[in-house]
Amino acid sequence: MTTTLPTPPAPAPGPAPVAAPSSTRRPRGDIGRRDRNWIVSLVVLAVAEIAYFSFSVSGFFGGGSGLLALTEQFVDIGTIALGLAVVVLAGEIDLSVGTMSSFSGIFMAVLWQSDHLDIWIAVVVALVASSLIGLANGLIITLFKVDSLLVTLAMQFILGSVATALSGASPPYGFPTSFVRIAGTGTIGPVPYQLIVFAVLAVGIGLFVSRSRTGRAVTLIGYNRPAARWSGIRVDRTVVGAFMVSAFMAAVSGILVSGYYNAARDDLGDSLLLPAVTIVVLGGVDIFGGRGRIGGVIVATFVLGYLTEGLLLRGDSSLTATMVTGILLIACLILKFQIDRRNGDDPFAVLRARLARVGRSHGRADL
Amino acid sequence: MSTTVLEPRAGRTRDVLSSHVVRLLRMREIQLLVAIGIVVAVTTAAHPTFVAPGNISFMLADAAATAILAMGQTVVVLAKGIDLSVAPILGIAAVLVAFPAQDLNLPIVVGLAIVLGVGLVLGAANGVLVSIARIPPIIATLATLSVYGGLQFILAKGEEISNIPNSYAALGNDDIVSGVPWVLLIVVALAGAVTFFLRHTNTGRSIYAIGNDAAAAHRSGIPVQRVTFIAYTLCGVLAGIGGLIYLCHVGSVDSTTGTADNINLTSIAATLIGGTALTGGRGGVAGSVLGAIFLSVALTAMVFALIPAIWEPAGVGALMLLAMLFDRRSAVRSPSRTRRPRRAP
Amino acid sequence: MVGLVGPGPDTTATTTATTTEDPGDGRDARQPRGSRYVASHVTKAFNGAEVLHDVSIVLEPGSVHSLLGENGAGKSTLFKIMSGLYEPDAGELVLGDERLHGLTPRSALQQGIYLVPQEPTLMAHLSAAENLYVGALPRHGRTRLVDWKRIGRESVSYFTRVGLDIDIETPARNLSIAQQQLLECARALVHNCQVILFDEPTSPLTPHEVDVLFELVDGLRSDGLALGFISHRLDEVISISDQVTVLRDGRFVMNAPRGGYTRDELVTAMIGRPIGVRTRVRRSSDVTDRREILRVEDLAAPPTFTDISFTLRKHEVTGLAGLVGSGRTEIAEAIFGLRKADRGKVVLDGVPLTHRTPRECIDAGLIYLPEDRARNGIFGEVDIGRNVTAGIIPHLPRRWHLIRTDRETLLAAGATARTAVHMQALGSSINTLSGGNQQRAMISRWLLAEPKVAIFDEPTRGVDVGAKDDIYDIVADLATSGLACLVISSDLEELTLICDRVLVIYEGRIVGEVEGDDVTTARLGQLVVEGAM
Repeated sequence: MTTTLPTPPAPAPGPAPVAAPSSTRRPRGDIGRRDRNWIVSLVVLAVAEIAYFSFSVSGFFGGGSGLLALTEQFVDIGTIALGLAVVVLAGEIDLSVGTMSSFSGIFMAVLWQSDHLDIWIAVVVALVASSLIGLANGLIITLFKVDSLLVTLAMQFILGSVATALSGASPPYGFPTSFVRIAGTGTIGPVPYQLIVFAVLAVGIGLFVSRSRTGRAVTLIGYNRPAARWSGIRVDRTVVGAFMVSAFMAAVSGILVSGYYNAARDDLGDSLLLPAVTIVVLGGVDIFGGRGRIGGVIVATFVLGYLTEGLLLRGDSSLTATMVTGILLIACLILKFQIDRRNGDDPFAVLRARLARVGRSHGRADL
Repeated sequence: MSTTVLEPRAGRTRDVLSSHVVRLLRMREIQLLVAIGIVVAVTTAAHPTFVAPGNISFMLADAAATAILAMGQTVVVLAKGIDLSVAPILGIAAVLVAFPAQDLNLPIVVGLAIVLGVGLVLGAANGVLVSIARIPPIIATLATLSVYGGLQFILAKGEEISNIPNSYAALGNDDIVSGVPWVLLIVVALAGAVTFFLRHTNTGRSIYAIGNDAAAAHRSGIPVQRVTFIAYTLCGVLAGIGGLIYLCHVGSVDSTTGTADNINLTSIAATLIGGTALTGGRGGVAGSVLGAIFLSVALTAMVFALIPAIWEPAGVGALMLLAMLFDRRSAVRSPSRTRRPRRAP
Repeated sequence: MVGLVGPGPDTTATTTATTTEDPGDGRDARQPRGSRYVASHVTKAFNGAEVLHDVSIVLEPGSVHSLLGENGAGKSTLFKIMSGLYEPDAGELVLGDERLHGLTPRSALQQGIYLVPQEPTLMAHLSAAENLYVGALPRHGRTRLVDWKRIGRESVSYFTRVGLDIDIETPARNLSIAQQQLLECARALVHNCQVILFDEPTSPLTPHEVDVLFELVDGLRSDGLALGFISHRLDEVISISDQVTVLRDGRFVMNAPRGGYTRDELVTAMIGRPIGVRTRVRRSSDVTDRREILRVEDLAAPPTFTDISFTLRKHEVTGLAGLVGSGRTEIAEAIFGLRKADRGKVVLDGVPLTHRTPRECIDAGLIYLPEDRARNGIFGEVDIGRNVTAGIIPHLPRRWHLIRTDRETLLAAGATARTAVHMQALGSSINTLSGGNQQRAMISRWLLAEPKVAIFDEPTRGVDVGAKDDIYDIVADLATSGLACLVISSDLEELTLICDRVLVIYEGRIVGEVEGDDVTTARLGQLVVEGAM
C-alpha cells in the first residue's frame, strides 16, 4: 500500500473504540456452514439411493462398472445444470438451455454432414455459435433491462424451431468413430469418456465461480445487485458473461447427447431443461441468486441421475421417474426453506426474500 | 405542492373514475386489436380466404384453450407469481373427462364438474406450496409440473383417447353464427367473470395489492397467504376448464397433451402480450384473451404465408420479444426509484 | 374487517369528543373515543442485537406522545411492535382493558391501531383512492362487492382533510414522496382508528404541509384519539407533544409531560451527554497543501440538478447540505457515474473522467460510500472479508488467473485493522456486525482502492452514538492523510462538526457556500430550507 493511506485511528485514546455491544455478537447460523450441511445431506441421500437400487434392482450396480456406465445417461443434464447454476447465481434464469443444447448438437451435425467440415471443427463452430446466442440473450436482457425469464423463454421457442428446421426430415447420424468414442460412448477402462468430460467441466466451473474475478463478481451481483454496482463491479458485462457460460455449457451438453446417440436430436429441449433446473435448485443454489455452491450442483446431478436411472431400470416409465423427482424436489425445498426460516429471527425475512428480486423495483426490500 | 384548498368534487370523480378504468383497460386492448387488424389485413390482401368465416371461426376456437389458461396465468402473475404447471392440469382434466366420455358417453355438464374439481385440487396444491410452504412460485410450479405430468401419464395409461362423443366436438367447433364459435362465447363469459372478480371483489383487489407490494399489503391487513392461495387455486380451476375446452376442440387427448403443445409457455406469452406485467400488480385478463387471439391469428397467418409449422414456436418467441420491447415497462426488472424534487411551497 | 368501520367499542364519549366534519355520508358522524394504549417492558432483538430493552410507553387518549432519540435508538421498532409488524421478544401490549396477544398488522387494524410508516409504501400501480382504502375497501352491504362509488365520493374529503390536492385516479407512482406521505396519513382516518402512530411523517414535507398535518393531528387529539409521534425535528416535537419519552440505544431514558423539560434536557437525554461537548473534529487550515484535486464543471441533469460547479481540495472536508429530494445524492451519483448527467465535466487530479462508470472512478481514485448501506453497500450474507475486497476484484492478486484467497484474506485483514472493525472473524457474515462496524468495514473496502477523493453519503445514518464519533474521526484522519472528502448529510450539526466548507443545494442548484467559522447550524439551516440567506 502506498503512503496515501491514512494511519489507523489511534484506538487507545478517544471515546473507547466502540465497546461494541457484546449482544451483536451472536453466532448466527453461518450461511457457509448451512450450505455445507446441505451438500453433506445430499451426499448421504445419493449414497442411500445407490445402496437401495444396488440391492433391489439387478444390473444397477454391475460390480461398480454398472454405476459408472449409468453416468452416461445423465452427465449431459449435469453439464447443462453447471452452466445454468452460473446464471442463477447471478440472480437471473436461462430457460433457453434445453433447446440451446438441441440446437448445438444439430448445428454441429449439419455442418459436418452438409458442409463436410471436419467433425471437431464443426464442434468448435457449434460451441462458438451457441455462445454467441448466449451473448445475444445477455445483451437483450441488460441493454433493454427486461426480465431474463421472458427473454430466454422466447429464445427457447426460437431455438426450438431453428433446431427442428435445421435437422430436416432425417437428422444427421453416424458420426466418425473418434467423435463417438470421446463425446459419446467410449470408455477408459470402466470410466466413460463423458464422465471425464463432465468432471473436467465441473472442476472448471467450480474454480470459475469460486476463484475467478468474473465468478466472484457473479456471486456478489446475485447477492445484491445495487451494492455490486456501487462497488464498481461491471454488472451488465458480468451478467452477459454468465449467459455466455450457460449457453456454452448447454452447447457442450448437446454435443455429448449427439455423441451418445450417434445422431443429432432435436426433440430433447424440454426433457433437458426441467431436470437441469431441478438439479440447480436441489444443489442448494438460491433461485434469487448469490447463494450456492457448484459442489452442491455436482452432487445433485448424481442424486437426481441415479434416482431416475434406478427407477427406469426397475421398469418405471420416464414420466413416473419425472414425477418422483418432482416430489423429491418439493420435499427437499420444504425442508430447506424450513431450515432457513428457523434460522432467521425476523418474521418477514422469508417474505422479504421472496420479494427481493422483483421487490427491488420498489426499493423497499429492506423494511 | 398546491396550497389552494380544494373543493370536493365527487360528481367529477365518478366520471374520472369510469373514464380512467376504461382507459386502463382499453390501452393494451386497442393496441392488440390494431395489431390483429393489421395482420388480418395484410394476410387477406394476399390470401382472401383468410377472412372466410370458417377460418375466422377456426382461429378463434383454436385460441380458446390458450385464452382460458392465460386468464388463470394472469391472475397469478398479477399477484407477482407464475404458474408453470397449467399444461399438465389441462392434460389431467382432459384425460379424466375423456375416459368416461368415451366409455360412458358422459354428459358435458358432469365433465365440467370433473374439470372444476380437478383444477381446484391441483391448483390448491400449488397454492399450498407457494403460500404456506413459501416456496418461490417458479420452483414450486416447476416441481408440480413434473409431478402432474407424471400423474397425467399414469392416468392416461399411455393411451390416446380419441373417441369423444359428438356433443363434445360440437361444443368445441360449432358456430353460433358463421364465424363465431360457441367457445368464444364461453371465453368471453369467463373473461367477464374473472374481470368482475378482479375488479369488484375484495379478494380481487387484494391480488393487485399483493402484486404491487406484498409487504405493504401485509401491513395494510391483507391476508397475503390466503389471497395468494386463492389466486393459484383460481388459476388451477381455469386450467381445468381449459382442459375441457381443449378436449372438445381437438377431440383427442393423450399422456403428454398440454405439455407437448407448449401450452404452458404460450399461456405466459399471451399474458405478457396482453399487457400484464411480470412484476405484478398491473394488467388484466381482457388483454390476455386478446393476446391469445392475436397469437392464434398471427400463427395462422404464418400458415397462409406457407411458413412451415415448425416455425410456429419461433413465431411465438419473436412476438413475445416484440411485445416486451414494445412495452418495456411490463417486463422491466428494476426501474430505478426516483425521487422527484419538490416544488417550492 | 367489521370492526374497522362504524363506531368503536366504546361510544359513550367522556372526553370532549367534538363532532368533526363528516368525511362523507354513510359514516358514523362521531369518531370513536380512543383508548389508552400501553406497551410495557418491551424487549426486542434482531439477529441477536438487542434494539429495545425493557421499554414502556403509555399513550393516553386525547394526547400526543412523542418518542425522541437518535437514529437507531429503537423508536421505529417500538412503533412497529405496537402496530403488529414485529413481535416483541418480551413485554406486553394493552389496549384499554384488553391484552393484545400475537398482534399482526391485520388484527392491529381491527383493534383500531394504525402506523403511518416512515417511508410511504403505496401500491405503485393502484389509484390514489384505492391506496387510501387498501386492506379495508368499503363494500356494499348485501353483495359484499367493492363499493367504487363510495370510494370515489369519500376519498376526496379525506384527501382534503390532509391537504392533498390530487386527482383521486392518479396512480400512486405518479405522486411525489410528500404527497405519498400525506396519503399515508389520510389512510389512518379511513381506518377510523383509536390509536395512530406517526413514524417521522414530516421528514419529506414542506413547512406548509407540516402545518396542515399538525392541524390534523390537533383535530385527532381533540377527537380523543391516542397518538404516538416520532420526529427528528425537535421544535416540532416540543410544539405538538403532551408527553415526551426519550430512548437511547434501545433503553428508556426519560419521560416528561409538556412543560416538564427544557430543550437542552431533551438533547442531553437523547445523545447521552450535555450538548456542546462535541467539538469540531479538525481544521484544515493547519495544513498547507490544499491543492485542487477534483473539479466539477457545469454538471447538469435537469430537472434534478443544474449548474453544479465546485472543486474539492486535498486535506479538506467539504459538506453537501440540502433537504431530502434537493438533488444532493443525485449529484454525487452523477459524479460517480451511477447516473447519467446531460452535460458537465469531472476532472480528477488533472485527468478528465469522461465516460464515468463506478469502475473507472474507483480506479482513478474516487470512492463513494452510499447512503443506504443495506441496499447499496453491503452484501449482507457474504463474509466480511469478501465484502471488504469487493471494490478491488480486478486488482486482487492472482496466480494462473485464479484469485489467491490467502493473499486476499491478508488484504482484507489489513484493511479492517486500519479502521478497527470490531468483529469475530473475517469469515463471519457482515450482517453480524453492528451498524457502525458495518460502516467501518465499508470504509476499509475503499481504503483498499487507494483513493484520492472520498464521497460519504449520510455516513452516520443508522449508526449508534459512539460509533458516530469514530466515523467522524475516520473522516478526519482520511482528510489529514491527504484525501479530499465530500460529506453529504441531513444532519446539519454533523456538517458543522466535520466540514471545513459546506455547499448548500436547494432544488438542484448550489445556492450557497459557507466556509470556516461561518459553518453554523443556524446559517446552514436557513439556506437548506429557504434556498437563500
